[in-house]
Amino acid sequence: MAPILLSAAAGVQTLDGRTTQIPSSIGKVTVLVFLRTDCPLGKRYAPELGRIAKEFSGPAVQFWMVFPDKSENAAEIRSMMSEYRFPGTAVRDPDQSVVKQAHATTAPEAAVFGRNGKLLYHGRIDDRYVDYGKVKPEPQVHDLEDAIRAALAGKAVARAETQAFGCALADIE
Amino acid sequence: MIGAPLNGATFYRDVAPIIYRHCSACHQPGQPAPFSLLTYDDAKRHASQIARVTKARYMPPWLPEHGYGDFADEQRLSAAEIQTIAAWVAAGAPEGDPRDAPSKPEILGDGWRLGKPDLVLQAGEPLRVPAQSGDIFWNFTFRPRLTQTRYVRGIEIRPGGGAALVHHANLLIDRTHSTDLLEARRGAGFAGMELTIDRNPFDPPSHFLFWKPGSTPHFEEQGFAWRLDPGNVLVLNTHLQPSGKPEEVRPEIALYFTGQTPSRFPLLVELENDDALGIPAGARDFQVSDDFTLPMDVDVQAIYPHAHYLGKRLEAYATLPDGKRVWLIRIPDWNFDWQAVYRYKEPVFLPKGSVVSMRFSYDNSAANVRNPNQPPKRVQAGNRAGDEMAHLWLQLLPRGRGDRRRELEEAVERHRAEKNPDNFTAHLNLGALLLSRLKTQEAIDELETALKLNGASAEAHDMLGSALRSVGRAQEAIAQFRAALEIEPAYVEARYNLAVSLARAGDLQNAIRNFRLVIKAFPNDSRLRNEWGELLAGSGDLSGALEEFQIAVRLDPANRDAAKNRDWVLARQAGQ
Repeated sequence: MAPILLSAAAGVQTLDGRTTQIPSSIGKVTVLVFLRTDCPLGKRYAPELGRIAKEFSGPAVQFWMVFPDKSENAAEIRSMMSEYRFPGTAVRDPDQSVVKQAHATTAPEAAVFGRNGKLLYHGRIDDRYVDYGKVKPEPQVHDLEDAIRAALAGKAVARAETQAFGCALADIE
Repeated sequence: MIGAPLNGATFYRDVAPIIYRHCSACHQPGQPAPFSLLTYDDAKRHASQIARVTKARYMPPWLPEHGYGDFADEQRLSAAEIQTIAAWVAAGAPEGDPRDAPSKPEILGDGWRLGKPDLVLQAGEPLRVPAQSGDIFWNFTFRPRLTQTRYVRGIEIRPGGGAALVHHANLLIDRTHSTDLLEARRGAGFAGMELTIDRNPFDPPSHFLFWKPGSTPHFEEQGFAWRLDPGNVLVLNTHLQPSGKPEEVRPEIALYFTGQTPSRFPLLVELENDDALGIPAGARDFQVSDDFTLPMDVDVQAIYPHAHYLGKRLEAYATLPDGKRVWLIRIPDWNFDWQAVYRYKEPVFLPKGSVVSMRFSYDNSAANVRNPNQPPKRVQAGNRAGDEMAHLWLQLLPRGRGDRRRELEEAVERHRAEKNPDNFTAHLNLGALLLSRLKTQEAIDELETALKLNGASAEAHDMLGSALRSVGRAQEAIAQFRAALEIEPAYVEARYNLAVSLARAGDLQNAIRNFRLVIKAFPNDSRLRNEWGELLAGSGDLSGALEEFQIAVRLDPANRDAAKNRDWVLARQAGQ
């Protein structure tokens, strides 16, 4: 049984430090992307995330950029969001409670929750970065995009779990 | 030496010495790595990543296999060091006792690392890198304003831009203005992964001027300075990867001069076999080779293997006359992104008659994730990222006195023309080299061969004209210059050669007509103005000649010939 998104919503914060909740995801598809301000790969994905957000623009899909590292400061996160033009809304997850609900291990890593609030997909954004030093010139599989499309259609995601590549979230616990 | 305590490894005692020594030079603010590794907190924040990348030997980036060439600045962790890091991470990355800490890593700061430069150059125009794109290959140009020849004993390249934007950069010296036409505007720079600069046979390339993340700038050893003449253009060939946001990149170069003229003359020698690169789609281990026999004793100073994204295993070795094999380099898993020039700790001596061998293999299968074509397709040599290359550059210092570069270069060019009998460029280059070595008859033969392969080359016609003129075949020379100009009317060098040849043959009227076009192209060249004046004087136009001599002196007050000519005309006019 997949966990329900943000059932308790403990410890999620706005950039102003207020405790908040990612609004009820029931009826909507919720996309989370876990990021670290010191991880170059997440930044490199900003234009691709922008493209995906644009493709699914509208109230049916909501994008949240989740920053789990409690040692980061809000100004760093704000400037990363604006300089790189990340889509969606930035929130902080200092207790890594959302990280755990999404089963995320890496920055950048994406998670998609369906209209019923169930975790449908978590893992890489696409398959461009295969391993250290092994990078495809172009991605061949657009995992996140495919997962959102499946979630909107109410279908199961073909590959519900992939290994994301980047900086480990365990290191900042 | 660092031990490998499998239990109880701490940051300060066991891991900091490794990280400070091998990582911190790049992993600090202002340096190319994307995050800092200067403190315990820095390392802790990336601990499991550090364990993974060191175990995979992705970091520190170092491609050559240990034991196949002994290189300076080897950035390679020992097995024990990798184990120490793994044990530390497995134990939860404990901090340990700060009293165990080694001395802190050097903070490089903003200054030039070689000290105060004699000249700092900035790229003519910045490059705007988009937030997202494939790899970018861009050539920045620099035009040092020199009034006299300088000898450069060191350079420092600052690629500029954000972290990790520039992956590598090669500085090339354009002594022949062959890149001028590639720029939309002076200083605008131009796109291109590989660039061909016409060689000046009298001053062929001699030094690797290379930058990669983490490279330490150095001064050349005594006697190894290289010359930079007024008018030379410096071209920085760069490989960039976008960072995720739009950035501006405007590299800077610091030059350090010396008053000592060079006394050691290395040559960059290229083994290659691009013509053999017809790699079938799906081929997993396509092999390409080249073998060059050394015509003299040399010391190998440095090596630079180069392939694109299909390159798999890159090897080079020498077979000595007694049959012994000396490894020069072995890269078991080539990665274009981390290409580098490798300098030997001690120069590798190779006696005359040694055979230097290049053995490269390529993976053009779908299993090669870097393959630019999915599904794979047949790939040939070329300058785009999707094409391939098989190049092995060596910096060779001939033993013996003086500048023996052209002697060595002749052997290289002969080898290339023999290897590729149908390759126009190989014969053209050999012809040019022979011409510069005053082996004129042989040069004529090579250039005629070149023209048989490509009769549409203005350059080959012009060069053959020069060769014919120097053996007194004036009319044939004039015909060749005319042929060059028919193909390329704006070819100023051929126009000049034609004008001079016509003047010598007594056809002053046509000589003047052609020389006028040369002056139009180079109005500010003092030497040409003076020659133009001489031609006018020869045709009886003394007042026109005087004007030219005066312009020539104004352009270059040190032009003594022009001053003498001017005074001669003035004296004649006064005497009348």
